[in-house]
Amino acid sequence: MEKLAEAIYGGLLSGSVLGLMALGLTLIWGSLRMLNLAHGSLYLVGGYVAWTLINWYDLPIWPAFVVGVVAAALVGLVLQITLINPILGKPGWDNASLIATVGASIALESIVLLIFGARVKQMPVALEGQFTLGTISKANQGLLIIVAALLSLFLLSAFLRRSRHGMAIRAVSQQTDAALLMGIPTRQIFLIVMVVSAALAGLAGVLLSSIFYLTPTAGFNPMIKALVVTIFGGLGSIKGTIWAAYIIGLLEAFLIVYMGSSWALPGLFLFMIVMLVIRPNGLFGLGEMQRL
Amino acid sequence: MTQEVGTLPLELGLEEKIQNRLHSAAGPWAKPNPLYLGITLVVALILPWLISQMNGGRFFLHLIILFFGWGMLVQCWNLIMGVSGIYSFGQVALFAVGGWTTAVLATHYGWNPWVSIWLAPITTVIASLIIGLPTLRLRGIYVVLLTLAFHELLRNFTTTGPKIISGGGYGLKTVPKLGFETWFGGGYDKILYYYVGLVFFVITTYAIWRVLHSPIGMAFRALRDSETYAISRGVDPFRFKLFLFGFSAFFTGLAGGFLTHYQGAISPSLFNFGILINLLAMIVLGGWGAFWGPIVGTGILTILPEVLRAAENYRNLSLGIALALIAVLAPQGLGPLISDWVKKAFRFFRKSQQQEAP
Amino acid sequence: MLKVTDLHAGYGDSEVLHSLSLHVDEGEAVIVLGPNGHGKTTLLRAISGLLRPTAGNVELNGTSLSHLRAEEIVAAGVIHIPQGDLVFPEMTVMENLLMGAYRIEAWRERKQKFEQVFHLFPILAERKNQLARSLSGGERRMLALGRGLMGKAQILMIDEPSLGLAPLIIEQLYETIKEINQSGLSILLVDENADHITVADRVYLLESGVLVREGSAEEMLRDEALLATYLG
Repeated sequence: MEKLAEAIYGGLLSGSVLGLMALGLTLIWGSLRMLNLAHGSLYLVGGYVAWTLINWYDLPIWPAFVVGVVAAALVGLVLQITLINPILGKPGWDNASLIATVGASIALESIVLLIFGARVKQMPVALEGQFTLGTISKANQGLLIIVAALLSLFLLSAFLRRSRHGMAIRAVSQQTDAALLMGIPTRQIFLIVMVVSAALAGLAGVLLSSIFYLTPTAGFNPMIKALVVTIFGGLGSIKGTIWAAYIIGLLEAFLIVYMGSSWALPGLFLFMIVMLVIRPNGLFGLGEMQRL
Repeated sequence: MTQEVGTLPLELGLEEKIQNRLHSAAGPWAKPNPLYLGITLVVALILPWLISQMNGGRFFLHLIILFFGWGMLVQCWNLIMGVSGIYSFGQVALFAVGGWTTAVLATHYGWNPWVSIWLAPITTVIASLIIGLPTLRLRGIYVVLLTLAFHELLRNFTTTGPKIISGGGYGLKTVPKLGFETWFGGGYDKILYYYVGLVFFVITTYAIWRVLHSPIGMAFRALRDSETYAISRGVDPFRFKLFLFGFSAFFTGLAGGFLTHYQGAISPSLFNFGILINLLAMIVLGGWGAFWGPIVGTGILTILPEVLRAAENYRNLSLGIALALIAVLAPQGLGPLISDWVKKAFRFFRKSQQQEAP
Repeated sequence: MLKVTDLHAGYGDSEVLHSLSLHVDEGEAVIVLGPNGHGKTTLLRAISGLLRPTAGNVELNGTSLSHLRAEEIVAAGVIHIPQGDLVFPEMTVMENLLMGAYRIEAWRERKQKFEQVFHLFPILAERKNQLARSLSGGERRMLALGRGLMGKAQILMIDEPSLGLAPLIIEQLYETIKEINQSGLSILLVDENADHITVADRVYLLESGVLVREGSAEEMLRDEALLATYLG
């Protein structure tokens, strides 16, 4: 019984984290048709800015977190304007955008390395203390992460469903030419998408680094996992991504709890291989995606 | 985004498009001029001797040898991704299969590396068919997932698997090298490895060049541009894809064997995503799908980090900025840009020659 | 009100439209007839900004549109209903219509616009919460038109309204287009056949990217050779 609770809690936590990271990626892919490999470094920006404010400037935790998220959003804005806008839609876009984001991520990581060094940094938790589930106690921070993730997902979904700009984002993702004909300013929309996505990555960085520590390479793994989740859930599909995040999170947690952590990743991938062989159209049968 | 080209009038037929791509992919030499080829060959043969006289020559030779090995892999990967449009991320895994095959045989079973190295391509081809088969039915992006899955599984296996393979998780560190260290009284090893690498590299490049310019190459491109069209013209995607996997796996495995014996070691750190992304950047940087693209890209990404080494701590920063700049200023990759320059240079050359003639 | 002067446009190295000039007066309905591949769609795209013309000028009520971005051209009042409908497949009918009113001036009037659109196309009201991809061909065409009407249009440009539709629906569609025009909205239609040129006041003939003839709809109807080439 304990193991089950552990697995479910772990799965929800993991799924929430994956969801936060993956959502940003899927939004960008859906509208810009771009794979944003700088996403992991935006995670870093959030975490490190917050850490700096807390440790060097004695800012209390919550404001520091908020500033961290905003900082990530700003960096995303800058990246969009300097790197993405100049090559948007031009021939070679697919690959050039890939290289541009790779370059940006290498540069950002090395900036972090230069300023902060490679030593692991500890981020204080936003929510102290623990709570008990039966006989297990877990850090409150974990609960905070789950709540924050669910809240963000909910808010984002509402934004996309109801607001004029949110609908415009969906429209641009589904049919860009028609969106242009409605007078939707696609460049502005892309900017909004990038800023939101960067903020989500920053949020993940800020929340997670208190559990997983902060190093210059900390953003990489969450990003890769998020990529897997994004593809699995159907690139560009918000609903699919959220489902995929929690399914994969729970699967991973169950594998860890019941079979040991060395089985987590291979088990996950074996599952994926089997899934893809049986259902070549992906989890939600969303069919062929146009291009990477 | 797709403002201008939303629906290209089909007057520019698909066949024409393929023909155009064929010619541009051949770079400035659609039919290589034997004279220029000969000159390049002679230069390549003399080069290591010249370099070894330089300060830091050994290191530079080391870079070139790495360039040969990775260049083989990157070209093969480009054949699958850039030319045929299959988003396979299993190339490193295949490279590892090749490397590990010869490493295990030579280290634990006493095989002569010169013999075991030829087993590497064979096992790699088999592995590629195993990886390739499930991908045949998959569309686009899901191939990424599947091949990544194999990549991770193999990483796990080489880290936690049987000791002869995993070496306790650290990989194999005592792989016998090709024995050049003692030839001619020592000191000539780098040069000899250079030649071996050169031979492998040239064979690979030539093989790929031949395939690209054959009906098979056209079929690959047709598969990328429009699978339905290709099928309607009698191209059987399954057989071609399998051939593609096998063909590129052969040289990938060979590269794996070569570099393993050169470095005398192989470890699971090979599977790090940083390396994967670096290799991806090599393809993309030089010009995706083009023939010279991957070669140029590999060259740049092998040399550039070292050139920037002078900047020390700022090396990675400069590298990142350089990549971003290249992407923004040359969105179609450096290969086409450079081949443009080379074409212009040749035209200039020819013009001045004509002017000299009375 | 819409004036196109000496327009040149194309894709890459091939020019499709050569020195094209036409005009649509206020309240007029104009048809451009032409066989497939001769530049009809290119013409509309060059006006609406999806394609940048290589030379020439497009003016709406005196303001030049040639250097504006597509979204600014829409704001000016040029609404292009594209070939193939291009509805937003994963959005409902309501959401599609709402997107037609994206621009803030139109957005504020969306309630009234809904009434107008549902009056013209009652079936859309019936299906308003259905996803656009589940609509039939005719319904999708109506959605595309309705979506265009949600904006603050000064002129409506429609690309082959009858493409791929059943004859009965085509009839109804052209009647609706006539109704829209009669309520005061200028219309520029491009079509492949002359079956319904009576919906328009004037007709242009487009061949190989050049306008070869112009005349009133009645004149064209009386021209037997024309009818032979373009009917059915």
